[in-house]
Amino acid sequence: MHEWSVAYSIIRTVMSWAGDKEVLKVTIGIPSFSFLDLDILKDAFNEMKKDSGLSNAELEVKIKDPTFKCRNCGYTFTINEVSDQLQGVREEFGEEYPLHLMPALAPSFIRCPKCGSHDVIAQAEDITIDEILVKESGAVKTTS
Amino acid sequence: MEPLRQLAKEKLEGKRVIAVMSAKGGVGKSVISSLLAFTLSQRENTSIVDLDIHTMAMSKLFGLEGRLHEVTKNGIEPFSFGNLGVFSLSGVVRDNYVLLPGINQGKVMEGLIAYANIKSSKNVIFDLPPGMGDEILVLERISKYFPIVVTTPSKISTKVVEYLIKYLVNEKRVKPSLIVNMAYFDCNGEIVRPFGEMNGVRSLANEYNVNFFEFPIDPNVEDYVGKIIEYKGSVKVKTDEVVTSLFYSNP
Ligand SMILES: Nc1ncnc2c1ncn2[C@@H]1O[C@H](COP(=O)(O)OP(=O)(O)OP(=O)(O)O)[C@@H](O)[C@H]1O
Ligand SMILES: [Mg+2]
Ligand SMILES: [Zn+2]
Repeated sequence: MHEWSVAYSIIRTVMSWAGDKEVLKVTIGIPSFSFLDLDILKDAFNEMKKDSGLSNAELEVKIKDPTFKCRNCGYTFTINEVSDQLQGVREEFGEEYPLHLMPALAPSFIRCPKCGSHDVIAQAEDITIDEILVKESGAVKTTS
Repeated sequence: MEPLRQLAKEKLEGKRVIAVMSAKGGVGKSVISSLLAFTLSQRENTSIVDLDIHTMAMSKLFGLEGRLHEVTKNGIEPFSFGNLGVFSLSGVVRDNYVLLPGINQGKVMEGLIAYANIKSSKNVIFDLPPGMGDEILVLERISKYFPIVVTTPSKISTKVVEYLIKYLVNEKRVKPSLIVNMAYFDCNGEIVRPFGEMNGVRSLANEYNVNFFEFPIDPNVEDYVGKIIEYKGSVKVKTDEVVTSLFYSNP
């Protein structure tokens, strides 16, 4: 269900940016640890775009694997090194996994594998709109 | 492009947005914001959003501990009490503590607002954490909120709160109103002021030209933590007066 909210936020943001231009394609980035269901996300996007100015827009999703940096000890690590921690969170919450909707909560649920600190920053932890392709008087324009 | 910010902004458009805030901690922001929200909900559909993402007092006041928000196609659904919807991060993280680097705090607040289903609400109240942090900047990016600043009569509280009043007045945003909580105790008709006289508050209010309202001390408030909407004592009575005077009277 979280996928619907995410899709809606993307549609609203793109619409307000595009005005009355025709949008052909939207490329978004999603952090892998949000574990959103991409089929549901695309279905939700395609369903909701119908009654918006994006009815011809295609959604492309790029999964990003963030790198983390511990601000306490300086250790840089990948998602693989905290996958067991994330798995624990998924098991605790099931469908209600908090990082679906709020990937920015990640540092509260993971600890640095070296020193155990929560003072962890992630590169690429947000859901982002990376590119919008619009049709402009025949030409096609890409914006990021 | 900031999808969450855009969505949060759109969601608040056309609504009466009220921020209950203080530079000082423990002065009664959460108690007052919950009573304020409940009082408004007795007239119009209202939502309260707990922006204190670390202590999540709303879940304690409304008795929501351990409960998770339902998420539907329309986003995060509120915990409902009649016409009042309550949103708190505790409904997302359950009983886990929240400890986050500064930049993430603002993102989580934005997310909570952006995804909250507040569609049917005319009023949206924000309960802010103490101090002057990210939450104020987050709110300013997305709304023209009505500031309700809470203090006690204590000298230290009044002096600390002056920073916030000064900021809000200098910003030329909506003029703040001041609530002086725990201002007096009604001891069988005799008014006692355990936290000091009102001199400091009066000169603050004069200097910045803001209105203030005095709220009583009521030891019974404590008994209603967990069922705050059942509280009908003197602080609620005062809240009714203030709501009418601020929002429902034509001067
Ligand atoms: N008018 C009042 N009479 C009696 N007790 C009160 C009154 N207002 C608040 N309290 C009590 O004071 C304590 C602090 O209240 P509250 O949590 O609302 O403060 P706060 O400003 O939100 O704190 P924080 O800065 O931690 O968010 C609580 O125990 C509450 O029950
Ligand atoms: Mg509080
Ligand atoms: Zn570390």
